[in-house]
Amino acid sequence: MASSSAIQHGIPATLQELEPSSPLFKQGESLRVTGKLQTYNAETAVAIIADGGTSLKIHTQYLRGISFRIGSVYQFIGELLIQSDNEVILQARVGRNVDGIDLNLYYQSLQFLRKFETEFMNSRAT
Amino acid sequence: MDPILSVHIKLLAVDLLSLNVQSYGPLTFTHKNRPIARAESLGVVVSRERKDKFLKFLVDDGTGCIPCILWLNHHSFAQRSHPIDLELKARMALEYAEKIQLGLLVRVRGRITVFMGVIQITVADVVLERDPNMELLHWLDCIRMSRRYSDVNTLSRQSIS
Repeated sequence: MASSSAIQHGIPATLQELEPSSPLFKQGESLRVTGKLQTYNAETAVAIIADGGTSLKIHTQYLRGISFRIGSVYQFIGELLIQSDNEVILQARVGRNVDGIDLNLYYQSLQFLRKFETEFMNSRAT
Repeated sequence: MDPILSVHIKLLAVDLLSLNVQSYGPLTFTHKNRPIARAESLGVVVSRERKDKFLKFLVDDGTGCIPCILWLNHHSFAQRSHPIDLELKARMALEYAEKIQLGLLVRVRGRITVFMGVIQITVADVVLERDPNMELLHWLDCIRMSRRYSDVNTLSRQSIS
C-alpha cells in the first residue's frame, strides 16, 4: 500500500521526553503533547503548558476556535522547532481542551501503546 | 459468510494501514489472516477538505493518520434506494460533515476501502467524543483485540500441526 498522507501523525510524547538525548528531540518532528496551561499571551499567541515539572512553549497562531483558560489541560499536535540554544517550541496544527483526562492513565496507556507498536514493527520485519 | 465481515473492528492506524489487501477478484482485506470489511477508529481530526460531493478528513490516533471519506452525494444513487432512506442518509451525512472539525476527537465507523493505493475508511457514522479518556480506552481495546487475534491464530496453527 502507498503512504497514507503527507501529514504526519503526532507521536504522543511527555514533556519530560523533550530533551536533547531523546529520540523524539528532532527538528520538525510531529508530536502530540499534553499539559496544564500555565500562561497564554494573546498578542504573541504563545502558550506555555507544564506537566511533571517540565514546561513547553506552544505557538498557537494557526489554531482557530479554541479558548485558553489558565489551569485547564490542553493537548496539541504539531511540529517541534528547535532553536539554536536548544530551546524548543511546538508549532501547533491542532489543539483541544482535555480537561477531565486521567493523566496517570494516559501515560500508562501510552506505555502499552508504544510496546504494541514496537512488537507490531518487529513482527512485520521478521 | 464470516460474521466478522459485518462488524466494525476496532483498529489502530498502524494496524489498519498495514492490512493485507487481496486485489484480485473482489477487494478483500485480511487482519492477522482473518478477512475484515469494516473498521472503527478514534482520534483527532487533523485535516479536513470539504467538496460538494464529499468530505475528506484525516483522523490521527497517535499511531498514524487514517484517511476517511464521507460521501455527500446520496442523490446520485436515487434509483438504488428508497427516497425516504436516501433523504435520511443524505441529512445524516450533512450533519456528520458539520460535526467533523479540526481538533475534535471523533469515533468513525465504516467500510474499509482503497483509493489511489491507500487504505481509507468510507464513513458510515461519526460520533463526537467529549470525554478525552475514551481515546485511552480505544487504544487499550485495540491492543487487546489485536493480541487476541494473534493468540487465536497461534492456537489454530498449533492445533493443525
